[in-house]
Amino acid sequence: MHNTLNRLQSVFGFFTTVAGVLACFIAATDLYTARSPSGVIKPTNTQVVKGRPHYYSTKKEEYAIIKFSLDADLSSLFTWNTKQVFVYVTAEWPEPGTNATNEAVIWDSIITSPSADHLSNIGPHSMKKLKESAKGRSIVPERGILFLKSQKPKYQITHPSGKIANAEDVTLKVHYSVQPWVGLMSWDTESDYGFWSAFSGGVSDKFSLPAVKTKDEKPKKSRDTH
Amino acid sequence: MAEEILDKVRDVVDGEIDFDGQRRSEVIATLLLAVSGLLSFNIGYAKQDIVLAVYIGLAGTLLTFLIAVPPWPFFKRNPVKWLPAGSGMTRT
Repeated sequence: MHNTLNRLQSVFGFFTTVAGVLACFIAATDLYTARSPSGVIKPTNTQVVKGRPHYYSTKKEEYAIIKFSLDADLSSLFTWNTKQVFVYVTAEWPEPGTNATNEAVIWDSIITSPSADHLSNIGPHSMKKLKESAKGRSIVPERGILFLKSQKPKYQITHPSGKIANAEDVTLKVHYSVQPWVGLMSWDTESDYGFWSAFSGGVSDKFSLPAVKTKDEKPKKSRDTH
Repeated sequence: MAEEILDKVRDVVDGEIDFDGQRRSEVIATLLLAVSGLLSFNIGYAKQDIVLAVYIGLAGTLLTFLIAVPPWPFFKRNPVKWLPAGSGMTRT
């Protein structure tokens, strides 16, 4: 500690130690904050169409387009340590003949906390509106309340075999992932852990996918003139 | 002449303080950093605002750097009292 550089290094070293311990305490507060997510999800319209994975591929595959309605309350997931909540909807159905389950994501969305609004991938006008919607508050739990009616899916799903028409026992499930400022990332849990409750509801009833949509044939006008 | 200038530069860069000053500097730095960490967590948790917690922590750290690192005069109040030259051992 006899020269300036020495004191600088020593003080900086203790600063990083304090910052690390502070981060551990902040992350620990999340474990003692109750979480009670809930939701209702229903498929509203399903169709299966034929298409190609990309423009030049020769393989034709079947794609399922599942529109859904979602009514969820994820507001308890927003604490002072929450940076973003990633919510996504998956379609699951069993693979006949095996114990395997097929799972594909049909829709997802990022919900930022006001402290992380500047990280959103949106244009300047939307960014301004987003920041103003926080109205100076540090946490806005209302952003976790989702109400989607007949939402178009982001992704059209298929099966590795290319066939997905007439799949049975399909269910839609809502999942979430909480990304904190400090601490471990966490997902929706199957059962309760301490103060964190499992997702209440969030699973749709079973439904089947329809057959591949074919164009209706219009009766051709006869070219006979007699 | 150049040597005197170099000596002055070396003194400024070295920033030497006496031993008691070194001890006080370390104690002040440790206390200030610990307090700013405590304040940062408690105020941040009370107001549920992590950005505020970070700002308080960084402000406290900056204050610590400004007080504990530069060779201030109040760290040089107990200079070592060297004995006069040649007053030590005598050859027997």
